[in-house]
Amino acid sequence: MTGQEGLAVFTILIFAGATAYFIARMLPILRVLRKARATDRLDNWPSRLGFMLGQVFGHKRLLQKRLSGILHFFIFSGFVILFIDIVASIGQVFVPGLKLDAALAFIVDLWVALVLVGIILAVYQRAIIRPERYHGSDEKDGYVILGMIGVIMVGIMLHESFYPFAAHYWYHLQVRLDPWEFLGYTLGHLWLQTGMASTPVIAEAGYITGYVLDIGMVFAFLAYLPTSKHLHIFLAVPSIFLHKTRPAGELVPPLTEDAGMAIRTFQDMNWKDVLDVFTCTECGRCQAVCPAHAAGQPLSPKMVILELRDALRQELAGAEPRALAGDVVSAEELWACTTCGACQEACPVFIEHVPKIAGLRAALLEDGEIDKNSQKVLVAWDRQGNSFGQPLRRRPNWTKGLDVAIKDARKEPVDWLWFVGDFASYDPRLQELSRLVARLLQRAGLDFGILYEGESNAGNEALRLGEYGLFESLAQKNLKWLNEAQYRQIFTTDPHSLNALRNEYRKLGFDKPVKHYTQVFVDLIDQGRLSPAPLGVRVTYHDPCYLGRWNRIFDAPRQLLEKMGVELVEMPRHGPNSFCCGAGGGRIWMEEDGIKERPADNRIKEAASLEDVGYFVVACPKDMSMFSAAVQSTGNDGRMKVVDVAELLAQAVGLTVPDAELAIK
Amino acid sequence: MRIAVLLKSVPDLIEDIPIDEESGEILYDEMSYIPSEWDDQALEEALLIKEESGAEVTAITVDTGESDTMLFTALAKGADHGVKLVGDFDPSLPNRQRAHIFSQYLGPQSFDLVLSGVQAIDDIDGQIPGLVAGILGWPHASVVTEVRAHDNRVIFRQEYAGGLVAEIKVSTPAVIGVQAARKPPRYASIAKVRQIAKSSQLEEVEMSIQEVPSLEILRFYKPIASGHAEMIDGDVDEAVDRIIEILQEHNLMRG
Amino acid sequence: MGLILVVMENGASGFTDASRELLGKARELTKHQDGQVMAVGFGPQSEKALRRLAVDRVICADSALLASYNPAAYEACLDQIIKANAPCITLIANTTLGIDLGAGVASRCNLPLIAYCTDLQINGNKITATSQIFAGKAVAEIRIPDSGAIVTVLPGVWNADTDVGDPDFETWPVDTPQMMEVLKVIEPETGDVDITKADILVSVGRGIESPENLPLAEDLATSMGGVVSCSRPVVDAGWLPKARQVGKSGQTVKPKLYLALGISGAPEHLQGMRDADLIIAVNTDENASIMDVAHYGTTVDMLELMPALAQRLRGE
Repeated sequence: MTGQEGLAVFTILIFAGATAYFIARMLPILRVLRKARATDRLDNWPSRLGFMLGQVFGHKRLLQKRLSGILHFFIFSGFVILFIDIVASIGQVFVPGLKLDAALAFIVDLWVALVLVGIILAVYQRAIIRPERYHGSDEKDGYVILGMIGVIMVGIMLHESFYPFAAHYWYHLQVRLDPWEFLGYTLGHLWLQTGMASTPVIAEAGYITGYVLDIGMVFAFLAYLPTSKHLHIFLAVPSIFLHKTRPAGELVPPLTEDAGMAIRTFQDMNWKDVLDVFTCTECGRCQAVCPAHAAGQPLSPKMVILELRDALRQELAGAEPRALAGDVVSAEELWACTTCGACQEACPVFIEHVPKIAGLRAALLEDGEIDKNSQKVLVAWDRQGNSFGQPLRRRPNWTKGLDVAIKDARKEPVDWLWFVGDFASYDPRLQELSRLVARLLQRAGLDFGILYEGESNAGNEALRLGEYGLFESLAQKNLKWLNEAQYRQIFTTDPHSLNALRNEYRKLGFDKPVKHYTQVFVDLIDQGRLSPAPLGVRVTYHDPCYLGRWNRIFDAPRQLLEKMGVELVEMPRHGPNSFCCGAGGGRIWMEEDGIKERPADNRIKEAASLEDVGYFVVACPKDMSMFSAAVQSTGNDGRMKVVDVAELLAQAVGLTVPDAELAIK
Repeated sequence: MRIAVLLKSVPDLIEDIPIDEESGEILYDEMSYIPSEWDDQALEEALLIKEESGAEVTAITVDTGESDTMLFTALAKGADHGVKLVGDFDPSLPNRQRAHIFSQYLGPQSFDLVLSGVQAIDDIDGQIPGLVAGILGWPHASVVTEVRAHDNRVIFRQEYAGGLVAEIKVSTPAVIGVQAARKPPRYASIAKVRQIAKSSQLEEVEMSIQEVPSLEILRFYKPIASGHAEMIDGDVDEAVDRIIEILQEHNLMRG
Repeated sequence: MGLILVVMENGASGFTDASRELLGKARELTKHQDGQVMAVGFGPQSEKALRRLAVDRVICADSALLASYNPAAYEACLDQIIKANAPCITLIANTTLGIDLGAGVASRCNLPLIAYCTDLQINGNKITATSQIFAGKAVAEIRIPDSGAIVTVLPGVWNADTDVGDPDFETWPVDTPQMMEVLKVIEPETGDVDITKADILVSVGRGIESPENLPLAEDLATSMGGVVSCSRPVVDAGWLPKARQVGKSGQTVKPKLYLALGISGAPEHLQGMRDADLIIAVNTDENASIMDVAHYGTTVDMLELMPALAQRLRGE
């Protein structure tokens, strides 16, 4: 058998072997996907396609981490470009003399170089920079993969540079070293100078070695993929294509009678959820932005996905299935989540962490396993319709101090319906703020009303604690009046209520437009109904998770600040990258076990690092209480004051603000 | 081991107690009702026994309205059966009556252990566990914080003033008034309660009102507070100032 | 008016205050109406104390079987004594013993029971009882029927009676099947501190929210020269040891200062602390029961107050 025949046989065998092995390893995964629940991810495919191309070829999210993004782009594009090399290299074995033209050969060599640079940068990042986000990832796998890719690159250079000499001995072909093929050209000259090229055994051996390292490793790579994080090479693109297009803030799609919210087994997940766990690249970008993780709690969104994946792999290998909620993913991890969504915002392959965590929470809850403080809140919502456990009839008590009574939207038609929310209604410190908002609206002559005792908690947090049944019963209570009252549109002061009304109530047939009070105020100023005088202060603004990330309302609060003549200094983490106050997803009621630094404290420190910024502006009642406490606990009282955007507006339009401390000098 | 857990609902004290000032009567129809918190403890203890050493738990209530949710919740938490004792009863049904209705049902059944809340907020005419035990002539103990049952051997812990605790063995059948379960009562999710409500059946047993010793209540009224604290107004800093002053007045400052 | 029977409860040294409190009232009720007071004691150890009670008659169930409290044996014994003597009123303190025996004996003897009694008064020729209901949010006025009644009385509503007398003495034979056996009696863990000996108690309730906040209370207690105690929910949650609990099933305390933080004031808790010299209550609800016994109250957030007060006390 000649060398050429040997390589041909090798190529056929390894191709067949690796492909068969790959398919055999992938089939069980496909079977799990088929057993999982349905979800419609193929609607509106042209826009999905466009979105996917932007993310895949534009590396939009990946480039948010500069070094990682660039090195990934080198390696990723290398995979695409080097496909040319694979075709050419195998082609050369079967069609002696096959040769890439100069331009293609140049591109291949250029990318071999780029990939090598990428590998060096990747090793530098892993071994020298060592970002925390890799903690918990399979580092060995990372190095194995980088090693394999490196070997392929070396293989390409070897067989490329020895090919002209091996071709001469084997096929008696005259193949010239082409300067465009600059790596092969340079190395080939090295072989000539050292005399290696003129020894047939060495030249042939060099070529065969290079080929085996290249093509052999390519197929070895294929066989290795199904058990590696590098499965994302195949799954990332479909995963991005199949990304969620329903409203971001909708946690749970409409549920069917027999399929509840709880995730106990992989059959309770939808197939995209299952796909997600195999798509995870272990990059840890989610871990890097997770407020629970930063607080030192046991949660990392990445580890949740990896724990699920490992459990599923073990199941596929024949192990007895383990309980996903409480065993595979611990209760402590699950209850630590604030549902802020920073993980999903950061994930380059569009994994949806939060719905999985909520589904797993639902399973814990069904078994009665829940933090006792939250349990009290759930009971209070069920009985009194608010988290304070206060009588329903006291809900409108905050309106008592107003000179002009607020219309009862249950009794007379109004233009705007104000959905107030629990905190703004019951928290004594926030009631003053609610009255201020009312006075501003009255000053602007807005025709608005509230539901008085007809309003209950919107159910956003009940749902995020995994209590779908309670969410539904709270929603039904609200919908009784929301459907009966006459009004044109709704606004809320509370982003959590906004999210529920806007995104979660749709499945119950509610579709009135829902706005945030900052949007209403911007309109009122534009219409000339409120005329703020410039305040001339420097502030920073905190994007509430449920206003910004989940509902993409970033501009209105900023426009409002601008219209008040306020100078906005952004914190490093703002807009979609805002850092959660730590209150969401029911966390506000839970025990703070094991928290090293409260997310709110972390955030206030970030704000305090800005120069000459004395005001921390919020647009969410929960933020008001979280950050006011944080300003104290971080020793920043006196230096920084937490104010609601409405308080600033009240100042700007000349309303007397009850709390003298708010007065801005 | 067959365990019966006696449940009742009581007015939700979050709301004011509505009393007709003229007649001095409690307006039972104007109150909302919730399961008695001590009964929740009793149910939890029964479920812990079931998980620990195996038992069949039956939740029983006298139907004074809205008892279905309470029983389905018990089933959702892990009780095996729910029994509703029905008749012409309303929420003003005195405890003594309830106790007789419970006893009438329990008598011919073969329960080994009956658990119920040590007290309820409205048991002015007697606590259910003691009354039931007395009617049935079974041994009984209250203010119990732990019940363990192995092979029909029931051992419980009873609490006394000062934190003294006795461990007592009792022959069955016995009635125990539970002060607190070993763990806080578990949560039953609404989805699960609904699902249970669809898939399981409550047993309904017809009962009648009995002639029992009753109290001649002249009137109910709201207590006139013998005194009310002098309230300190203002924010935290002002409260701190005032408290320091008070401590100084009482010579309670150190040094 | 006939006989009033008072059930005496054995304590660590002699009869408990809770049961002694019943004696004076019983005497007062019978004084003008030509009645008699009879006290019942259990176990041979009660004989000496019984003989010195200021009542008309005493019965000592002196069996050794009753030396330590046994719910079933006591109940059977008391049942027999009541049936034999037919008192018009049987008074029992609403302690564990009272909750055990009251309802059981009432249904065995087919007598009505009046629980959570806070007072007994003579109205003409009738006696009326007032009773707490709905956790003290309402009071019922109840007429005691001529046929007799069992009354369980909240401890602390009357003064303990220490008068000495020379009553007729009688023993009562015990003849009941043993349905309960006391296996062991566990003394409370005294723990690191004895809260009954402290002059200043910083006492926390549900409002502490989380064990993470306990250091705030500890810190405040240290700066005041006091110790931390708590209400029942804090012990039930496992955040503090039982030895720190104030109230019916915990310790009865009488410090110079009782600072109640986030304690709403269930009757069982008030029972253990209402005699403190100075009570300051911090609770978000101005109408919480604790405010009725406190001398001063504030509705500020206890979690904010604790560090602020500690800081000031340390002179920072």
